[in-house]
Amino acid sequence: MSRPELTGPAAHFYNEKEARKYDSSSRMVGVQREITERAIELLRLDHSQPAYVLDIGCGSGLSGQVLEEKGHFWLGCDVSRDMLLVAQERMHNQAENDDDDDDDDESMDGDSNHNIKKQRKSTGDLMHHDMGTGLPFRPATFDACISISALQWLCYSNSAQQNPRRRLTRFFSSLYTVLKRGGRAVLQFYPETAEQAVLITECATRVGFAGGVVVDYPNSAKAKKHYLVLSFDRNSEQKRKAALKDGLSSAAEEQQSVLVTGASREGTKKAPIRKKKGVKTKEWIVHKKETQRKKGKAVRPDTKYTARRRPTKF
Amino acid sequence: MRLLTHNYLQSNVKGTEEGYPLGIVPETVEIDKSPVDRELLLNILPKLNYDAVLQAVEQLRPHCETLPNLPSTLPEDLDDELVNDLYFVLFDVHVKNGCLVCPSTQRKFPIRDGIPNMILHEDEI
Repeated sequence: MSRPELTGPAAHFYNEKEARKYDSSSRMVGVQREITERAIELLRLDHSQPAYVLDIGCGSGLSGQVLEEKGHFWLGCDVSRDMLLVAQERMHNQAENDDDDDDDDESMDGDSNHNIKKQRKSTGDLMHHDMGTGLPFRPATFDACISISALQWLCYSNSAQQNPRRRLTRFFSSLYTVLKRGGRAVLQFYPETAEQAVLITECATRVGFAGGVVVDYPNSAKAKKHYLVLSFDRNSEQKRKAALKDGLSSAAEEQQSVLVTGASREGTKKAPIRKKKGVKTKEWIVHKKETQRKKGKAVRPDTKYTARRRPTKF
Repeated sequence: MRLLTHNYLQSNVKGTEEGYPLGIVPETVEIDKSPVDRELLLNILPKLNYDAVLQAVEQLRPHCETLPNLPSTLPEDLDDELVNDLYFVLFDVHVKNGCLVCPSTQRKFPIRDGIPNMILHEDEI
């Protein structure tokens, strides 16, 4: 099955028929829900406080629903209007189901707060928008951002004006502006190649985000999931370093974290690269002999015959 | 589109001097009453631009008589009635059809079926 990104723009692929198919497939719904739960886990949100979350490429609102269940409110963007209409229907149906529930639960007194969260009408809102043109919001609007299976669409250009790198950079720099400081973004995407994953990560870090890619199930081609986890941690890192220097007690700081610096490499030499698999270069052989000597084994001295190509196989 | 969303939207068309706040020209406005979540409202209140809320409410008033009157500045303590009014205005009022207008360039962003269309043209990026 070829990738949908290769067929054309996302708005064309997710037409009315495809949007209905997407939303009604229970397998798709299940997978997307699982991915959303994992993304929310990586966001490390405080679920006791409602957070305003931006959902990029919200599609039919599956991820928004999961966010609401955790007690947050959200704004979803998508480039396909048909998907957004399906999302609206889904939110409307959710509200209708809640209305029915309200009548039955009059007798429940105890944990009413818990019930309010589950029975609330949808607090999500939708917007028709192309993420590659930048996010049209005031600075520091959102507490967090998620995106499920949408980011890779930016890597394919569908017109002469669309340049993937430029669109990615525009998207990430606007995301940097509209996220509150201290907020986090978790964007799950499907890279076609390793270069794509690198391109996306590069564009994100270049605009100033800290973070990287978390890969779940790295050994399975089918189950593998990439999550780009971004944050503004740099400032807090510097503050922590300063605090440690001044010897401030960590009683004031709730978060204890370990600063890991790269281990010093003065003692170890970098291993020389082999030219091809199975072919031992002279450099590699000399390096190997050196390491064996260090281990204390008996090794022949290096002469002009070391690593000489033998005329016949031994 | 809720007024909560409108409070954060701005125009990011290339070369726009001031794209916030967007004016609302409503055609259809619907009310969808929901139970008030006081905790949620108190959480978001500090981050809202209150003047933009007032402006939006006044722009919607001709199309919706049931909009409450809000004070011109927020008091320190919010009584229940004000909390309910604010929640109503931000969450329960939906602009179904109409458009958003950029204050400096007058560029119109249409709203259809409650979904604002912020897609930019090629020359606006």
